[in-house]
Amino acid sequence: MTSDLESPHASAASEKRHVAAPIDTALAAELLKEGPRGALLLAGVSVGLLFIGWLLFYFLLFIPRGSIG
Amino acid sequence: MASEITNPLRQPLPDGLVPEEAISRTENRWLIIMVGMLAAMMTVVVVTGVTHALHPPSNVETVDPVTLHLGGEFVESNLGTALEPDGSATVRIVAEQYAFVPECVQVPVDTPVKFRLTSTDVVHGFLLPATNVNTMVVPGFVAEVRTSFSRPGIYNMPCHEFCGNGHQGMWARVKVVPKDQFSQPKPNERTSCVQQ
Repeated sequence: MTSDLESPHASAASEKRHVAAPIDTALAAELLKEGPRGALLLAGVSVGLLFIGWLLFYFLLFIPRGSIG
Repeated sequence: MASEITNPLRQPLPDGLVPEEAISRTENRWLIIMVGMLAAMMTVVVVTGVTHALHPPSNVETVDPVTLHLGGEFVESNLGTALEPDGSATVRIVAEQYAFVPECVQVPVDTPVKFRLTSTDVVHGFLLPATNVNTMVVPGFVAEVRTSFSRPGIYNMPCHEFCGNGHQGMWARVKVVPKDQFSQPKPNERTSCVQQ
């Protein structure tokens, strides 16, 4: 078993080729000028799925089981 | 290749890359979405609560736990399932450390069932699977819940309120049977499935 790392205790992230593609500051500013759209989309989809799940539980499980009072 | 990298991730991007107006716009949009979702959920809860008369069991009725066995509604001969003149069923159960009495109750399917319970000692819990019934059984009070079962079967009915060292062994069964198989008790008779 061989390792490209100089030290067996070093993180893989210590080498540039092991981390995500770096981005230029100017390019990052250009992509983010309209705001963090990707984060908003991810959060929107996640919260939307939770909301749909709540509705499904409420109308398909809770309501059919009826009132107990 | 390394020479093309002008800003590897090890050198964090500077603050202030996202314009302030973009941040404000994003936060405002998210706030609108959250408020809208909360309003939708509250609307659903209130409307269905009113139209379906959904509310927590609110029966406040006291009983003396010391004299339960001597007379009144919860004497042993009155426990189990009773049929009411209107066709509904009333089930009376006493919870005690560490058993429900009777430990098996039989009810007909698709029939309104009213459960009335009390405790002789400590606080117990009462939960009926496949229904919304979930209540505490407090000594000195009568817990009353109403439901109906849409499918025949045998449902385990555990105590879900820790009541002592034997709590894990405290559970009973509800046997839901088709109407034609329900053993009709005579007036003033009670039925259960303890012996079955």
